Amino acid sequence: MRTQAGARRPVRRINVSAWLLLTPGLLSVLLLAIVPVMLVARNSFAESDVYGAVIGGFTLEHYVTLTDTVYAKTIGYSLGMATITTVFCLTLGYIVSNYIVAQTPQRQSLLLLLLIVPFWTDFLVRTFAWITLLGRGGPLLSFFNLFGLDLDSLVPSQTAVMLALIYAFLPTAVFPIYASMRGIDPSLREAATDLGAGWWQTHGRVIAPISLPGIIGAVLLTFVPTLGVFVIPVLLGGGKELLVGNLIVTLYTEFRNQPMGAALSMVVFALMLISLAIAALLLQLRKRRVA
Amino acid sequence: MDRALGWVTKLVFVFLYIPIVAVVVYSFNASASTSNWGGVSLHWYGELFSDGPLLETLRTSLIIGVLAAGLSTVIGFLSALGLTRYRVKGRMFFIGVVVLPLIIPEIVLGVALLTIFGTAGIKLSIVTVILGHMIVTLPLTTLILMGSLASLDSTLPEAAADLGCTPWQNFTRVLFPLTRSAMLAAFLLSFTTSFSNIVISTFTSGIGGTTMPLRVYSLLKTGITPEINALGSLLILFTVVIIFLVGLRQMRRIVIGAEEPDMSTTAISTQTTKGKASL
Repeated sequence: MRTQAGARRPVRRINVSAWLLLTPGLLSVLLLAIVPVMLVARNSFAESDVYGAVIGGFTLEHYVTLTDTVYAKTIGYSLGMATITTVFCLTLGYIVSNYIVAQTPQRQSLLLLLLIVPFWTDFLVRTFAWITLLGRGGPLLSFFNLFGLDLDSLVPSQTAVMLALIYAFLPTAVFPIYASMRGIDPSLREAATDLGAGWWQTHGRVIAPISLPGIIGAVLLTFVPTLGVFVIPVLLGGGKELLVGNLIVTLYTEFRNQPMGAALSMVVFALMLISLAIAALLLQLRKRRVA
Repeated sequence: MDRALGWVTKLVFVFLYIPIVAVVVYSFNASASTSNWGGVSLHWYGELFSDGPLLETLRTSLIIGVLAAGLSTVIGFLSALGLTRYRVKGRMFFIGVVVLPLIIPEIVLGVALLTIFGTAGIKLSIVTVILGHMIVTLPLTTLILMGSLASLDSTLPEAAADLGCTPWQNFTRVLFPLTRSAMLAAFLLSFTTSFSNIVISTFTSGIGGTTMPLRVYSLLKTGITPEINALGSLLILFTVVIIFLVGLRQMRRIVIGAEEPDMSTTAISTQTTKGKASL
């Protein structure tokens, strides 16, 4: 008993300094992330007065209100836009990654640098560029004009919103797929081809299953984040068709209807948690199958 | 099939660079409207540098960026040190807590910060923006520094301690010099994340806390001017400079987790932090 306690002592002393080092980080996350999100969760169930101020109590009213046409329409539209964005980013991300891994190391570095620059460029810059590009007198419409096609300005339009969303998330989707594809032994590809597998079979049965973690990562980084976008629909969509993000901003900063905004935020958060759970489940199943 | 996909890839790269090239080209447009070309001129750069209100928000953004990135790097370093140097019980749990802000969608985090500041009676100001940007970048700095500290020979700080270094000397003479490039990367990457952040700022900025992206966003709502393109070009240049300061090797490690398997979590955090900024 005594020896055990004696042996433990130095470990415990070390843990004290470890705790001291960890305190600022843990405290920051607790006070600036965990408690705040719990407050939002609480507010989403709180009753509110006519001005939208929180007055306590418990009600599911705000979540019920989310099924009203106005909210349901925005949620449905956002889920649709998020799905389209994800499908495009995933497909293009897969194609681009598959191309890069087949290049020489030097060329791979160069192509990655070419991806990192737009990835790291200020988001607003990447968005407002499309206003000029697609707007009246912009290069695209002038180009069509050369062929005698007199098109209307594409800003504001749903096409512009879609393009900007894909543009915003595309580099983000390439990196995880590339990261999991670069570990694949090239001989695996050759073996598949030698055994008579065509392009679709090689990718469907060999490459894509091995790159699954990257593919899942790309979906996680695209789908739910798209729902929270609010700048693009305002600048490129004329603010007509809104995403969930716009609704949250409006509820909090203009209508000051906190409980309603909280309920909507919780829906976004829940979707993120559900996606993470599905991702974990898929990876677990895959692991079991490999074993 | 592969050849066709090679062409698709090339088109994707063209697609990625069209907006960037367009912003730079149009920033030299002499015409007063973005919708027609009036010859090459530096007029809008001059206009940009004489725009007092915009420069004021630039100053605010610089202050916020430096302080948020500084705080985030220091706290991230301390956490990384605690998680790599000591055998802490429940290490995975602590890592999970530290990277928690990553799984919270940024708009939810923004709303949550607005709520806690409101509940605690803290007036929105430049300070609340700094705290908000700090928490967003904390997982990133912690993981970058954890990666760097983990690859460090752990006998070095121990030897220094045995030779009589105080913990502070150990930091200034051993740990800091050995992790300097990772610290610089962590600082610069969180600085740019803060500098271009718009979501957290939307919810946490109060009087005196109007950042440059918020100002630009409100200007853009009323219509685009060539002056904004001049600003955009400078920001693109700034991005390229930052990437080269961090170094392509380090940048690649951070973005895709190259070289060491340990870096993959860092890669995910970078993608999330930056991906979330894509709003």
